[in-house]
Amino acid sequence: MQIRLQARGASLQALFLIGFSIAMMVVDHRFQHLEVVRTNISLALSPLRFLVSLPATTGNWMNDWFTAQTELLEENAALKADGRILNARLQQLEVLAEENARLRKLLGASRKIADDVIVAELLSVDQNPYRQLIEINKGSSDGVEIGHAVIDDFGVMGQVIHVNPQSATTILISDPAHAIPVQFIRSGTRSVAFGRGSTRQLELRYLPATADIKIDDELVTSGLGGRFPANYPVATVTAINEDRVRGFVSVLAEPKARLDSSREVLVIKPRF
Amino acid sequence: MPQLKYLVIYLSLVVALVLMILPLPDWVQMYRPNWVALALIYWSMALPKHVGLWFAFFTGIVLDTSQGTLLGQHTLALVIVIFINLNFYQRIRVLALAQQALYVLFLLLINQVIIVWVEGILGRPTPVFGFFGAPIVGMLIWPWVFVVLRDIRRKSMPG
Repeated sequence: MQIRLQARGASLQALFLIGFSIAMMVVDHRFQHLEVVRTNISLALSPLRFLVSLPATTGNWMNDWFTAQTELLEENAALKADGRILNARLQQLEVLAEENARLRKLLGASRKIADDVIVAELLSVDQNPYRQLIEINKGSSDGVEIGHAVIDDFGVMGQVIHVNPQSATTILISDPAHAIPVQFIRSGTRSVAFGRGSTRQLELRYLPATADIKIDDELVTSGLGGRFPANYPVATVTAINEDRVRGFVSVLAEPKARLDSSREVLVIKPRF
Repeated sequence: MPQLKYLVIYLSLVVALVLMILPLPDWVQMYRPNWVALALIYWSMALPKHVGLWFAFFTGIVLDTSQGTLLGQHTLALVIVIFINLNFYQRIRVLALAQQALYVLFLLLINQVIIVWVEGILGRPTPVFGFFGAPIVGMLIWPWVFVVLRDIRRKSMPG
């Protein structure tokens, strides 16, 4: 009798916990209420993350420490040369930016020229093979908010989906659950680029067969949807598949950002 | 000393969690066994009075947070697996390690199926073939997990 009662107790408990887990998933999927739980546990787990990234960090540090002086000198010279070229270009750009601002003023259009930027570093990458997420080392205490766009020096990487005080989770544009509004520079056609779970491919589905698209066309953010600021480079067209039966074209594009190898990223705070 | 007992269990789960979030190359990622599930199955088999459903529940929430999955996804899978285990452990405990490993494969497959189902319900594409890799690797390493954790248990909790 005793044993049977115990068994029934365990079954009830199991049923309760199963129901609770399912309810939790629904709430987590639909609403934001569980963000607090996630943030606190995440915070408690941050020492573990640090521990895990320790070998890589130490490796880098040792590498820096033992770099030969000649190499450093060479690198220094190369960087100085780069700096000079960039400075020269920047001067042009400043002139252009000023001119642009003046022209906009003339036109009476008020649009931001530059966005605020937070420099962040990668903490860890994608623990789940079904998703494409990265963790960066800046969080709400640095002004990062949910929805901010994340870029590297080549193009758009993704957007922030969870914020902790000292870190933030970013979903990459290649995640199958992510889509980014884009525009072809050459033809101006607007579309949406979906992730496919591979860091080297985005897909643009259901473009009209008459759309003016060529291989190597450049894609930039269109700024529609209000999440990503406009005119940041996103991807280059690599393949065009025509579906003659249904009259659609689907396009594959390779992301510009180095989604799998960038360590320094920029978080863009849009100014509206 | 119940405190020491729990400390050892917590520590082994923390180690399992570290093994779960250790960065690996993409192609190995698919075959990473669910270390946390393995450790939890062992403890619920060895100390079912201490490691039960609630333990599975809270471990699952921590695992969900660290994996970036939906809060409740691993939790649901672990609760169901531990519930099955609590019903069978007395019969399984006495089997040879190889036979135990088959039973563990069964549990890990259930675990994996639940996680992949939830992914499917959310409309995310899930790999079809890679999906069996992790439970099979889990089965292959079960004897070692069992022996290591058993030795730890015997050294740290005499009697």
